[in-house]
Amino acid sequence: MIITKDHIGGLVFLCLSVVYGYYAGDIALLPGDEFEPFHAQTLPYALATLGGILSIGLLFTADKGVEHKLSLKGYDFPLVAKLLLLVVLFALALDWVGFMLATVFFLISGYWLLGERRPKMLLLASVPFAAGIWFVLTQLLDIYLAPGKLLTQLFGG
Amino acid sequence: MLDGIFTGLSTAVMPFNLLMVVVGCFAGTFIGMLPGLGPISAVALMIPITYGLDPSSGIILMAGVYYGAVFGGSTSSILINAPGCASTVVTAFDGYPLAQKNQAGKALALAAYSSFTGGTIAAIALLFAAPALATVSLSFQSTDYFALMVLGLTAVAAFSGKGQVIKALMMTVFGLMIATVGTDTTSGATRFTFGNIDLIDGVSFLLLAMATFALTEVVMTVLNGQHKEEEEQVDMSKLGSMKLSKEEIKEIAPTIGRSSVFGFIIGVLPGAGATIASFLAYGLERNIASAKEKLKFGKGSLRGLAAPESANNAASTGSFVPLLTLGIPGSGTTAIMLGALIAYGIQPGPRLFIDNPDVFWSVIISMYFGNLVLLILNLPLIPYISKLLVIPRPILIPLILFFSITGVYLVSFNSFDIHMMAIITVIAIFLKLLSFPMAPMLLGFILGGLMETNLSRALVISDGSLAFLWERPLTLGIVLTAIIVLCLPPVLEYLRGRRAVKGPEVAVTEGEG
Repeated sequence: MIITKDHIGGLVFLCLSVVYGYYAGDIALLPGDEFEPFHAQTLPYALATLGGILSIGLLFTADKGVEHKLSLKGYDFPLVAKLLLLVVLFALALDWVGFMLATVFFLISGYWLLGERRPKMLLLASVPFAAGIWFVLTQLLDIYLAPGKLLTQLFGG
Repeated sequence: MLDGIFTGLSTAVMPFNLLMVVVGCFAGTFIGMLPGLGPISAVALMIPITYGLDPSSGIILMAGVYYGAVFGGSTSSILINAPGCASTVVTAFDGYPLAQKNQAGKALALAAYSSFTGGTIAAIALLFAAPALATVSLSFQSTDYFALMVLGLTAVAAFSGKGQVIKALMMTVFGLMIATVGTDTTSGATRFTFGNIDLIDGVSFLLLAMATFALTEVVMTVLNGQHKEEEEQVDMSKLGSMKLSKEEIKEIAPTIGRSSVFGFIIGVLPGAGATIASFLAYGLERNIASAKEKLKFGKGSLRGLAAPESANNAASTGSFVPLLTLGIPGSGTTAIMLGALIAYGIQPGPRLFIDNPDVFWSVIISMYFGNLVLLILNLPLIPYISKLLVIPRPILIPLILFFSITGVYLVSFNSFDIHMMAIITVIAIFLKLLSFPMAPMLLGFILGGLMETNLSRALVISDGSLAFLWERPLTLGIVLTAIIVLCLPPVLEYLRGRRAVKGPEVAVTEGEG
């Protein structure tokens, strides 16, 4: 039997619905809620049931042709993983070094990852841009941007 | 109604709002021209900007971006055969062959005239249809609302394309599941937060929209290796004349009229968006053409270009009817606008034109302006806007990523949201690789809260009985429509299979206009 995209999708959603339904039981109810026609668990249970039925429906009606097989060839997963890691690092950098430095770091690393190697280009497309955005946000729109924990610890608040 | 039109006019002609229309159309055209990014991504990218504006200006800006993106998508379809979004795929069928015959200028002008006419006819229809529907829907009760939301959700799933109905329904359920995360509004109980404080308020709409439609779309272009492709340089000297002859205008005028009305009707249907309208209008035009004319389709037929262009713009306008009057979006893009309106504290629906007449009417009036801006300003500027595409992809992609991330961060100032975006992006990429449509999930998420409230009210009133679904004729009518809408595609597919009609058929694979 060929395992197609529909089979994988159906199985994943079936597991999701089971786990979702299981945790729906953990939702705290108010005293007497169990006698009410509708409470905090009603919709989650209904959704878990519906999700389960649809997943099984997809598993049974799945396209079985070879052309529906999941093919991961030709995709650049390592680069996407690096970009998403960069997004996570940007979030950490925002907390530690502040908006401006984090932005410069994010943009230079992003350009570098996507193949830009000219130092002049890397700097010109990041530093003035970050400074410009920082200026617009803090000076024109009057938005407070925290300086970053590291900078506060080094130079004081 | 005249009062309303004047209210809308006075709001829409405010210099700032006019500026928003112009800025929106330009930004939309630019983003729409980038292959891979369509109106949904363009509108999603605008949400954080609109948070600082008043609701009318915000929605006017988003409407401008919507039109601009559809127009921008047509431009890249015609010039480089790379549709920016699903709704302009059909434009490339006849637009690109025209460009190859050195008639790109004519094709662009025709696309602009068709879009303008389609948009204007639809805007006039909207002017009359929306208040009429809103008046009727004022009598709606919670049971009708619940049924209406079920209709909206099933319609989006039903129109999502061949063999995609179950997947779209599953994504809708997934969206509803995400909507249950956080604090339950009626009992105050926390649901699926797993002790995490950041999840107590639930998943924010902005975060989900930006992660699934801005971040994911950009990352998908990297995943597909599109960032390595050199942007095809467009030789502007080969654009040719932008003028149409009298004979040509005579030939396409009936096509534009037909397709505009047809597109508007398709757009009004909840769930069917610009994509379906453009495919169907093209199919209709080809079917009614003479045998000689039929041969020209796909090889640079003017009718083949005018039909989808007028239909997709008319449908874009038409999809505002269910959004403004019932609070049910007609397409993925209007689903994002619905979320944005709710975030502004405005509840789209029958009461919108009573409670917020300025928003209701100014959107309708600004649609005329949007169409005018596209025709008068964007068309002559296309050669210059397309020059922006020369920005190398390794520079452009990180910038778009930056805007999508900071757009979310600058609203919440919580770096947890960025981590959450990365996680949602990974899930969305996985689902996209498995060919699951994203728009139904967002729609399920947006309507989830409202649906639960109305279901809860309806069940409490009927003392737990499901009889509320058939007790009121209106509710029953809506429920029956939902069932028909859901059953129609499989039945039609079955009948088509039995007839075993062979021939070139246009399959709608993506309905996320």
